[in-house]
Amino acid sequence: MAKQNSIQSPVTNLVRLAVLFFFSGIMLIPFWVTVIGGFKSLGDLRVNPFALPTEWDFSIYGTILTSADTWKMMGNSVIVTGLSILLVLLVASMVAFTFSHIRFAGKKYLYNYLIAGMMFPAATAILPLFIKVRDLGLLDTYPGIILPQVAFGLAMSMMFFRTFFEQLPQDLFEAALVDGCGYTRFFFTIVLPLSTPILATVGVFILVGSWNNYIMPLIFVNDTDLYTWPLGLMAYRGEYGVEWNKILAYVTVTIFPAIMFFLFAQKYIVAGLSQGAVKG
Amino acid sequence: MIKTTKLLTSLALAAGISVAAQAADTVVRHLHLNNDPRIPAMWEEFAKEFEASNPGVDVQIEFLENEAFKAKLPTMLQSKSKPDVFYSWGGQNFADRAEAGLLQDVSGLAGGLQKNLSSGGMSAFTVGGKVYGAPYMVSQVGFWYNKKLFAQAGVKAEEIKTWDDLLEAVKTLKKAGITPIAAGGADKWPIHFYTTYLAMRTGGQDTFNSALAEDVSWDNPDYVKAFKLFTDLVALEPFQSGFMAAGYGDASGTFGDHKAAMHLMGEWDIGVQRDQSQSKEGVKDEDLGFFNFPSVPDGKGAGTDTLGGINGWAFSKGASPEAVKWIEFFLAKEQQSREAAAGFIIPVAKGADKAVNDPHKSIIAKNLAKAEWHQVFWDQALGSDVGGVINDVSAELATGDVSPEDAAARIQEAWELR
Amino acid sequence: MSSIRSWFYRNNQGGRITTLLLFLPPALTIFTLFVVLPLGEAGYYGFFKWKGLSAISESGKWMGFENYSRVLGHSVFHSAIWNTIKIILVSILIQLPLAMAMALLVASTGALNNFFRLVFFMPFILADVVAGLIWRYIFDGDYGLVGQFTTLFGMDPYYPLADKTWAFNSVLMVVVWKYFGYHMMIYIAGLQGISKDLLEAAKIDGANNWQITFRIKIPLIMHAVKLSVFFSVIGALQFFEMVIPMLPGGGPSSSGHTIVTYLYTYGIVRMKVGFGSSVGVILFIVCMAFAFSYQRYVMKMNND
Repeated sequence: MAKQNSIQSPVTNLVRLAVLFFFSGIMLIPFWVTVIGGFKSLGDLRVNPFALPTEWDFSIYGTILTSADTWKMMGNSVIVTGLSILLVLLVASMVAFTFSHIRFAGKKYLYNYLIAGMMFPAATAILPLFIKVRDLGLLDTYPGIILPQVAFGLAMSMMFFRTFFEQLPQDLFEAALVDGCGYTRFFFTIVLPLSTPILATVGVFILVGSWNNYIMPLIFVNDTDLYTWPLGLMAYRGEYGVEWNKILAYVTVTIFPAIMFFLFAQKYIVAGLSQGAVKG
Repeated sequence: MIKTTKLLTSLALAAGISVAAQAADTVVRHLHLNNDPRIPAMWEEFAKEFEASNPGVDVQIEFLENEAFKAKLPTMLQSKSKPDVFYSWGGQNFADRAEAGLLQDVSGLAGGLQKNLSSGGMSAFTVGGKVYGAPYMVSQVGFWYNKKLFAQAGVKAEEIKTWDDLLEAVKTLKKAGITPIAAGGADKWPIHFYTTYLAMRTGGQDTFNSALAEDVSWDNPDYVKAFKLFTDLVALEPFQSGFMAAGYGDASGTFGDHKAAMHLMGEWDIGVQRDQSQSKEGVKDEDLGFFNFPSVPDGKGAGTDTLGGINGWAFSKGASPEAVKWIEFFLAKEQQSREAAAGFIIPVAKGADKAVNDPHKSIIAKNLAKAEWHQVFWDQALGSDVGGVINDVSAELATGDVSPEDAAARIQEAWELR
Repeated sequence: MSSIRSWFYRNNQGGRITTLLLFLPPALTIFTLFVVLPLGEAGYYGFFKWKGLSAISESGKWMGFENYSRVLGHSVFHSAIWNTIKIILVSILIQLPLAMAMALLVASTGALNNFFRLVFFMPFILADVVAGLIWRYIFDGDYGLVGQFTTLFGMDPYYPLADKTWAFNSVLMVVVWKYFGYHMMIYIAGLQGISKDLLEAAKIDGANNWQITFRIKIPLIMHAVKLSVFFSVIGALQFFEMVIPMLPGGGPSSSGHTIVTYLYTYGIVRMKVGFGSSVGVILFIVCMAFAFSYQRYVMKMNND
């Protein structure tokens, strides 16, 4: 595509690359010092944050990786995030389908009612939400963390789905109806299988939000057995104070899954987070 | 492979699928915030002994870091995962929780506790005649100092009697190139020791009680004067650089690393400064000294009045009789003596004070015995609203962001709106 | 009875009503229960002084607008508002132009450009708490890079996060570090959608690179720019998780609060349900006022 590089002088291009490499350096230094910091002794870290460790210390990473707690909270995060994604995909796509394919009275009002959820952050009603979750007996349960996240992720996801569903060819549905296929079956057997791109987009959207969510588990979870990784990380930080080598190692371990996922699935992530936004 | 199995097991556990048949045990969950690892290690021994003589009871000692504990407790006590027994500073926060129905009335089971423990201590955990907790230790806040650094600068601790003496000592230390005082400004409550201790010196017990009774306001001239005195210290820039970014643990480490000559803190800091220091040795016993918070000669309070805590354990709503039994065992003279002998605490069990042999702790035990007025930390004693504001304005006084008058006025405002 | 049945039969063709009954309630229930009701309750609770432990009719104390006047008169809340405005300003004046510049530099395909995009975008996938924690270390005057710099130049150790004027500005730097890559990606998506013919035509007409950039490319992706401004502002209004590890307790002299950390510290930690709710309501009103006026006057897009 845009081959404007071809008409740029080599000097311009060199300056361009220099600027880009400089910025890349700034972007990457925090990652570098974090990963490498976990291999250093505290004294080494103090005088030498940038370079490789003078003496490699593998024990910190070893302790963290062999600790059952680490795996437990990662497991919790996987469960919470996985169920959140599944629920949002199902619930939001179903409701979006009624908006895109079924005529019914009050549709516009109902749509605006749901879409209003996109306009404000979860924090606005967090205290009443806490009381609600408490009174429902959902504190320290998976549903207690998952359902509020799903509720706040619904609006945006529904909008994505609706836009996508409306672009599906109309004759598809007419043909299905003629064949005696009702709305429900049409949705599950034809619409959903055709929707993998938007399912991936929304899925990534919810994944990043839920995996990284701190405020909801912070308020709704007290049981250390149910800690998700951001809670575990902050508790670890509290426990070890200024032992930055330990904390950096812990950070590295906890962000590793996200970084790996990002590197392998970057295409979908970038599409999901940026193009999705533009189209929406 | 083993790890995978472990992971699967923990996942299964986390998913609520019970795999073990331990359900028959009564679990007593005991939540503390002690970051000196030797102390909970001893508690684990107590727990084993208790479990041995009380089959079917499983005592679980759990830890939360101080700031996380304070932030989490309000929501935790309303959840299913609340502990049976948790650390408490007594005071209005404790009373508020008792009145709100978050604590368990154990009056019927507390005979043993009342027999074993000092009555002054028990009264701190009794609200409206009902027992909701039990005292564990008493503490006093005062100046810990590094004898080597004092000698290096030529400062003599015994000569620091008045607030002005302290200011002079700070100046001398600064001249010698030594950071006079370590302070954990980010946590704010370490700073409120200064402002409230000074208020105790300028106003005395009468002013405090009058303020509680609303006969005088919290922005009375005595307290404004106390805050002014604090700003005199602040003006000398006595704290380590970056103290407003340092939490209590950081400051304790600074002191333990011999990088500051003093630290205003309770005696629990003996262990913490050791643990937080890089060498894990901290300021060793022979180099560690203690002197009382200086007096204010024209103030209404006596120099012997002490600020500190009567810290203990609160029973949360629904705590089992086994939990009370465990705490009775935990606080019995024998256990308290063992902890006192190890230099961990100043005990509250009757007769256990004889076991205190740590030189620093015995000084404090004597101070406490001498004190006519022992005041529990203000941020706990006055409840979370007012206490939070006292901490806020203390930190702001330390950076010169609020005038003494406005600081006192904000406390009064919080008191009226509490 | 039979008329209902016939009505149902007439209207349920293709299982229309059954599907509605199946598809609408889950979303509506979850949304109403966990979003709308709490919001309504926040409006109600905001008029009370209440710890939330027993029913509000028992332990709540009617305060009228007292909570609101206290929030709006609290100097810490003022600084929280000001900090939020700072995030918005830095986003619009620094972050978005930077994102645009980088987008223009790396929009064309190529392995190296792909690498740059990846690197610039990577911080975005970190949790805010992690970004905050990493930078807490970097800004640490003893251990971090800031400490390293000061020793290198023989200066006194410096603690930006303890310095009232620098504490929140440090957070702003991290905001730019973490989020500009996201906005860059939005712009790249827009830039890649511009027709090549148009750019070719402009070149043939003798337009230089500068003119192509400012007269054609940027105007054509204005929609993406408007969107990213929208996301920046909404993001600034709910900014919270990064501040907690960087400036615990609100930073030096409570100077580093945002609206949501203010709500957390004074509402949630102290369990002041009424007071915290009133902060939430103020935040809600600001968000709504912004979202509606932005959509009406800037986006001019209508969701039917």
